[in-house]
Amino acid sequence: MLSFTPYENPTYFVILGIALIPLVIGLLYGKRSHLYETLVSLAFLLLTFGGPKWSTQGVALVVYIIFEMLLTWGYSVYRKRGQNKGYIFYFAVILAILPLTIVKVTPAVDGGNNSLIGFLGISYLTFRAVQTIMEIRDGTIKNFSLKIFIPFMLFFPTISSGPIDRYRRFEGDFTTVPDQDKYLKMLGKGLHYIFLGFLYKFLLAYFFGTILMPKLAHTAMIHRGGFLDLSWSVLGYMYCYSADLFFDFAGYSLFAVGISYFMGIETPMNFNRPWQSKNIKDFWNRWHITLSFWFRDFIFMRLVFWFMKHKTFKKPTTTSNVVYFINMGIMGFWHGVTWFYITYGLFHAAALIINDAWLRYKKKHQDSIPHNKFTEYFAIFFTANVVCFSFLIFSGFLNTLWFTK
Amino acid sequence: MGKRLFQIFGPLILAAALVLGIFLLPGHLIGYTANKKAQEQAAVSLSPSVLKGAGLKTAALDDGYVPFFGSSEWSRFDPMHPSVMAKKYHRSYQPFLLGSRGTQSLTQFYVMQNIQPQLKNQKAVFVISPQWFVKKGVDKAAFSAYYSQLQTTEWLNQYSNTKMDRYAAQRLMQMPSAKSDHIVYAALERVAKGQQMTPNQKRYLGLRQNFLKSEDNFFSGINLPNGNLKKVDQQEKKLPAQYSFSKINQLATDLGKKETDNNRFQISNSFYNHGLKQEVKHLKGFQENLSYLQSPEYSDFELCLDQFARLHTNVLFIIPPVNQKWADYTGLSQSMLKQFDQKIRYQLQSQGFNNIVDLSDKGDVPYFMTDTIHLGWKGWLAVDQRVDPFLTKKQKTPTYHINDDFYSNQWQQTTTVTN
Amino acid sequence: MDTKETVLSILSDLTGSDLSNNMDENLFDDGLLDSMGSVQLLLQIQSEMGISVPVSEFVRSEWDTPNKIIAKVDSMK
Repeated sequence: MLSFTPYENPTYFVILGIALIPLVIGLLYGKRSHLYETLVSLAFLLLTFGGPKWSTQGVALVVYIIFEMLLTWGYSVYRKRGQNKGYIFYFAVILAILPLTIVKVTPAVDGGNNSLIGFLGISYLTFRAVQTIMEIRDGTIKNFSLKIFIPFMLFFPTISSGPIDRYRRFEGDFTTVPDQDKYLKMLGKGLHYIFLGFLYKFLLAYFFGTILMPKLAHTAMIHRGGFLDLSWSVLGYMYCYSADLFFDFAGYSLFAVGISYFMGIETPMNFNRPWQSKNIKDFWNRWHITLSFWFRDFIFMRLVFWFMKHKTFKKPTTTSNVVYFINMGIMGFWHGVTWFYITYGLFHAAALIINDAWLRYKKKHQDSIPHNKFTEYFAIFFTANVVCFSFLIFSGFLNTLWFTK
Repeated sequence: MGKRLFQIFGPLILAAALVLGIFLLPGHLIGYTANKKAQEQAAVSLSPSVLKGAGLKTAALDDGYVPFFGSSEWSRFDPMHPSVMAKKYHRSYQPFLLGSRGTQSLTQFYVMQNIQPQLKNQKAVFVISPQWFVKKGVDKAAFSAYYSQLQTTEWLNQYSNTKMDRYAAQRLMQMPSAKSDHIVYAALERVAKGQQMTPNQKRYLGLRQNFLKSEDNFFSGINLPNGNLKKVDQQEKKLPAQYSFSKINQLATDLGKKETDNNRFQISNSFYNHGLKQEVKHLKGFQENLSYLQSPEYSDFELCLDQFARLHTNVLFIIPPVNQKWADYTGLSQSMLKQFDQKIRYQLQSQGFNNIVDLSDKGDVPYFMTDTIHLGWKGWLAVDQRVDPFLTKKQKTPTYHINDDFYSNQWQQTTTVTN
Repeated sequence: MDTKETVLSILSDLTGSDLSNNMDENLFDDGLLDSMGSVQLLLQIQSEMGISVPVSEFVRSEWDTPNKIIAKVDSMK
């Protein structure tokens, strides 16, 4: 049976293109057929999780979806009755992230074996589920409906790696049809994104990741033995890996957004020129945006809110510094339970704290600190290098460099 | 609406039509035009794309090049390297080097698939590395690096239901690269079971082959690395203008002596400095338990023999030794190497492959090896002594009698052979 | 005190600048407000005006200028 990793080869795009034709024609004439959308989604979910992957991933996905469905639905019924106990809410959130936690922790405690309940995209689905529960609690989602929730969770263009959409935003697009003029614009943009994605993923990421990176890794391994086993090749690897990471992920995200547009859903963008960031905070507004905003809205702001409301810390800066560490620590942990992912998270927390302190200092001494074109370029250059260094940690290459024979 | 849709999708449709049109043209309409220079570069490039492709190889082999199958030894260019010797002395043959680091029998079997007409009733040289015959056989990642869909489709388009094809399909299915195309994989499943492919599979494979062939014709000549050709030209200058065995033999000794003076293993200085020096103290005795006697590679190798026999190719096999000083230091068992030699010779000779250059006992000849396991100066010269007459003089037509037992697990696991 | 005055006084506490003449200035683009500041804003609105705004109600694009904030607060009264 046919089986694909999403967006991996031309055949996938050809099949996808053909499957989308009736849907596009429908939307052009102002019709949205949820039945056809469901059939296409099912077909592509089967292509991704069926066939040879059915027993290792497909079953896990089905069980997971049923579990999250019952949980959110149950919680929404509870809230509709007007009840709102804190512990019930915490319990629901804990249950919602439990499968993901098991999947992430299993390899670390079980000698590298992968958990049986994992499947491609579980973390992205968890983000969507947790977010829904939180908004049900806040009352911002008032009319929770499984008819929206299931297509939202299983929206196939973004199922494997995001972007992470929001329930209310998705609901708005999913239950309406864009007018013809707007939809034509979306088609144009969508196609543009997809082709930009080809350039990113199949040319640039291929060049950096498949052609250049192994060579740099090889020479870096040969030149071990110096201070911390470092060499110029490690530096080259750092930039090369960063370029590969960006073009691969941004390319993938462009596909996901482009295909969403074809389906009349304006999935939010994941990247916005991250290499032009002025500082590390700016970077997180431009890099993997839907993830960082998710963390901002559902972890950072809520924790800050909670700490300040309970006046846990005296100074607001202490609060924000502590929450940076928790927030980025969780993000690191989410990538996987290895020293380099967690270090990566903590590194970014430290960078954000330093950045905040610098901005405060700068504000106070506005008159004595120069600000011109040069300092702006320097800030961009400096930020990009800090980021690339953090990606070197993230890549796990230092682990290979230091701890393999 | 129509106009705007056309503005959006027009370029896409046009581009798709152009690409499809070009690739679906029958391969021979585009034709492959390889110039002499490209052939010369390709013959020594050792590039995976040349190995995986078709156009360059077939054009060169039709043009007087002889296939030299092997692996990493081909990258050891010194003046006595077969390519250098053949070029310098304007031999009637020029080697086309097939294989590099990581290519083993299974890869070579598939390489043969798109040069069958060029192998039929012709001669070839084949270097058998003992290091291929490790317990797990060919490394899956290495196999993937040299995997060619073109060769697989060409093979499937002409396969016949024999032990060779069933075994080849079954081995290929164990490799991750086979899964890169699910229709090919489904076809392999049927071939491995001895069933006919379905008409749809056949149709798909026909189209696919055509497509890949066009792709090969377009791209195989692009970006050929020419570093190795430069090496050949540099090395060539060191040789005497007129062929003289004694002079070249002396040169081999002199060069070997000069280039191996920084270590006790007679390993070339550059190889020794390049990563071995720091590790050397950890490597003492590390090959003590290594055995080349039990391996799926024996049956993979049988694929090559079987294919040669079917094409009546007259092949000269070369069995290189292991640097004895290195073997002693790392604890590689001499008796195991001897047994390996017996086993592989049995597989060759019992099936009628009698042209063997067995150098396995030359590991202690000074400057025979350029490093731990690769032939160099004197070793290459010894090879030349046999390759030249084999390829330039008329040879008796061999008669082969293939024995399917060599595909069995039992043969893979046999450690002793009694002749 | 009406909403406008209260909101402006909260904002001037938070950002350190008087915004009464820049009612349509984008506070996030100018770096006057960030996630931390937004939470403080919500808490101040709660304590000074008794209006509780859940964090998930806080969509940046709806709260990015003084005018929008005032309109938002008014709508939640």
